[in-house]
Amino acid sequence: MLQLAGKRLGAMVVIILALTAVMFGLQKISPLDPVHAMLGQSASAQAVAAERHVLGLDQPITAQYLHYLAGLLHGDLGTSYRTRNPLSSDLGTAFPATAELTLYGLIFALILAVLLAVATTLRWPGSWLFRLILFVGASMPPFLLAIGGILLFFVNLGWLPATGRTSIHNPPTGPTGLLTIDGLLAGQFNVVTDALSHLLLPALALAIGPAVSIGRVLRSSLVSELRSDYARTARAKGQRERQVLIRHVIRNAIGPALSMTGLQAGLMFGGVLVIEQVFSWPGMGQYMTQSIPVADFPAIAAVTLVLGIGYVLINTVVDLLQAAADPRIDV
Amino acid sequence: MRHVSSGEEEAGAAPPHPDVSFSPARPGTVAEVENLAVTFRRGNRRIHAVRGVSLDIRPGEILGLVGESGSGKSVLGMSLLGLLPEDTLEHTSGRVAVAGKDMLHGSADLRRRVRKEHLGSVFQDPMTSLNPTMRVGRQVIEAAGSTEEAVRLLRAVGISDAERRMSSFPHELSGGLRQRVMIAMAVAGNPSLVIADEPTTALDVMVQSQVLTLLRSLVDEIGCSFLLITHDLGVAAQVADRIAVMYAGRLAESGPTDTVLRSAAHPYSLGLMRSRLSLTSPRTGTLSTLRGEVPSPVAPPPGCPFQPRCDLATDDCTQLLPDPVPVIPGHLSACVLPAEVVRARRPAPDAGEQDAGEQDAGGQDAPQADAADPESAVPAAADAPGAASAVWVRQIRRTFRVKAGRGRRKDLQALREIDLDVAAGESVAIVGESGSGKSTLLRVMAGLERADHGEVVLGGSTRPQMVFQDAGASLTPWMTVGALIDERLRGEGLSRAERQERVVAALAQVGLPAEVAQARSRQLSGGQRQRVALARATVIPPQVLLCDEPTSALDVSLAAGVLNLIGRLRRQLGMSVVFVTHDLSVARVVGDRIAVMYLGNIVELGPAERVVSQPAHPYTKALLSAVPEAGAAPMVLTGEPASPLAPPSGCAFHPRCPLADDACADSELRLRPVRLRTAHDRAVACLKPELI
Repeated sequence: MLQLAGKRLGAMVVIILALTAVMFGLQKISPLDPVHAMLGQSASAQAVAAERHVLGLDQPITAQYLHYLAGLLHGDLGTSYRTRNPLSSDLGTAFPATAELTLYGLIFALILAVLLAVATTLRWPGSWLFRLILFVGASMPPFLLAIGGILLFFVNLGWLPATGRTSIHNPPTGPTGLLTIDGLLAGQFNVVTDALSHLLLPALALAIGPAVSIGRVLRSSLVSELRSDYARTARAKGQRERQVLIRHVIRNAIGPALSMTGLQAGLMFGGVLVIEQVFSWPGMGQYMTQSIPVADFPAIAAVTLVLGIGYVLINTVVDLLQAAADPRIDV
Repeated sequence: MRHVSSGEEEAGAAPPHPDVSFSPARPGTVAEVENLAVTFRRGNRRIHAVRGVSLDIRPGEILGLVGESGSGKSVLGMSLLGLLPEDTLEHTSGRVAVAGKDMLHGSADLRRRVRKEHLGSVFQDPMTSLNPTMRVGRQVIEAAGSTEEAVRLLRAVGISDAERRMSSFPHELSGGLRQRVMIAMAVAGNPSLVIADEPTTALDVMVQSQVLTLLRSLVDEIGCSFLLITHDLGVAAQVADRIAVMYAGRLAESGPTDTVLRSAAHPYSLGLMRSRLSLTSPRTGTLSTLRGEVPSPVAPPPGCPFQPRCDLATDDCTQLLPDPVPVIPGHLSACVLPAEVVRARRPAPDAGEQDAGEQDAGGQDAPQADAADPESAVPAAADAPGAASAVWVRQIRRTFRVKAGRGRRKDLQALREIDLDVAAGESVAIVGESGSGKSTLLRVMAGLERADHGEVVLGGSTRPQMVFQDAGASLTPWMTVGALIDERLRGEGLSRAERQERVVAALAQVGLPAEVAQARSRQLSGGQRQRVALARATVIPPQVLLCDEPTSALDVSLAAGVLNLIGRLRRQLGMSVVFVTHDLSVARVVGDRIAVMYLGNIVELGPAERVVSQPAHPYTKALLSAVPEAGAAPMVLTGEPASPLAPPSGCAFHPRCPLADDACADSELRLRPVRLRTAHDRAVACLKPELI
């Protein structure tokens, strides 16, 4: 297991390194000149040259890349051409917002997926309705779902807020940056409930598509594992159907669903950028949409890198969980 | 304790019960089945799996329930466990009671409690029947209730080192150990009845005999009853007190084991016994078979289900569905004919193999051949290919790199050094347990697998052809039989019409009608598929036909037919046959010579009849004694077969050999088969070969 973890972490480093190289390369072959983007088209040749020197753009390309990598190691993601702030401080506020939204999206997706799979496998009463709602939801693009949610729960019913992360003026700026957790740590439970009410709609809009994908995979492996020989053995021992499911079947059925979760988490990183627009969520999606039109390449590269690391991290965790679930998996 | 009593036996033939009202358990039974009928729905079709069976199981007995595939024996077992699929219950009638509780129509919770308190079960494949992601200990504790009890049970079923095994996962155990774990769970909590559905079918013959011995001793110690469901009459005969034979969802015959074996009263039981190969089956001429196949469970005939295959059938048999009636008290038979008439009947020559009346070509090993005459000796390992060699294999070695857990890789020594010379027209049977390398050797001969060392010299110009165990999987599912056979004829410069003619001729040669060419493999029965595989292999007659356990997945009555066919094709086409099998009684019948393999080496090679009647290698002796025969107490070798990942030093068999001493374990020792001085036609790889 340790060896497997080591191998996976090694692979993770290689993938991230490749990602930085791709991002750096794209920046270099882009026809947009960042200096002109910063100084305006009418800047003098002298000012441009001076700025190029300040940014290190007059150095050989390998030196620029190594410099970039060395900066990354120190947490220096570069400087935004647009805001002129270090990207680590810009993303320092945007990243936790996105991370919290994605995290809750993933949690909701898993909860809904397990409910969908178990309810339809055990044929709970009403499971068809639950399934219908999820399938209809999943067949809509997330932004449409989000707009529908706002119209229903904010405009008509007034139950849930429609914009932002919180309506409290001085939320705790705790260690994690995740309002629900920082609120808990600071003992301000009103912050937690307020943050949750803000999270509910965007996280659900994000979760429904992945929930159906994961749920269907989980259901089909549950159904086949419930018919397996060892499940028959467990029944023959006189185990209750619930014990058969919980003790025997779930651990054997979880593998494919975990793989699907890894894939869906990757897709969610794309989806969250759109959802943030709809809910004016102050996250990396917002930041990205402001950076793209002005060709703020360092910003784009930094966001991509952060999302890429998140994706690789989640899939590494998925691999390790699969190995933990099935003792036969060995490197 | 052999339970043989008389007087209550007629209870098994209780008349059909029109209602399912409940009576308390009869004294003297642990389970009762009365007029059980089970029908499954598959799409629009109804499958009549069990059609009116009555049966009692008495305390402390092993009841052997014998039947071929489709006989309904496993469905009967599942109804006793109360585990029939819920959607079949509405099409189920009759009465099944265990410990006086209704296992058919009782509530799910009642049936579950009966399973927990009164029943145990062992299933065929111990790999899939144990939860692969749960430690063995936890699985046994679920049935046993406590860790101490689980450890005690594991010890009781003969698992050494029980505490350590508790924390193993199933895949870390060998097949035999896994099945012992299953048995430990089955007898946990002292059940009154254990349902064992083909408990030894997936095991090697030596492990099988260990497990059967264990079952017998458990019954005698604990006093529980066993329902031993098996397709192999020999397995039932070895340990059962009573035998019940099922055919096409009906009970054909039941009675005390000795009575059924010695004086069977039903034509099907007789046919089954005659087509079953034993170590004393006649080797010359054709094997007796049952003609035809089991009737479709979708539309069973109105009369006796065995009537279409029965030589004694009369007009009555097509109309009347016979119920089992006593022949003598305690011995029931479902046949309208008097038992004397059935028994007097001699087996008819196999209708499909009429042309095969001539003697087996393997005349050179007829018992009268003089063992002292060197001229009759078959070379064990020639130094050069004989002029008449069909395949000559010299110093073949093959090692696989396999994952061995924790990221390490190990060498699996499949073939450690093999020399074998197969003469033109000769048939050699290769016998061995799983892991002996027998299939790898065959694949190397076929050119499907490369050898690391040594060479394979083919006598003829045509490539050897192969026939596999699972004929269904070896035929491409979306291609018609005609296209599959035709594929081999392409590039032979034949016109379309000529090729079609050859396909039909090849099918006719294996006893299949021309219409089969239009069928796809899923529309054929197991026996037909194996015939198609043979037709494909022989449409262009090869010099050598390589067969990898072609009959081990077939029912007894069909297997004999396929063996007859292979023998006839071999004579007609002048082929050599190399036949891999785990079953010595099959090897004895198909082979002119037998090669016994153990852990990548040939340990004994000689004329088939004499290897079986006078084994010289201790391993061959052990294998022979493990073949299930009625009443014979097997000589049980202790321990599991050694692993090809770590073959023991010296003679690989020495850790299990009763004759072994220090010299056998010498790491310098490299044993190769050498001819015996007392019998020149026999080569044995042993320091102390002994002819008995």
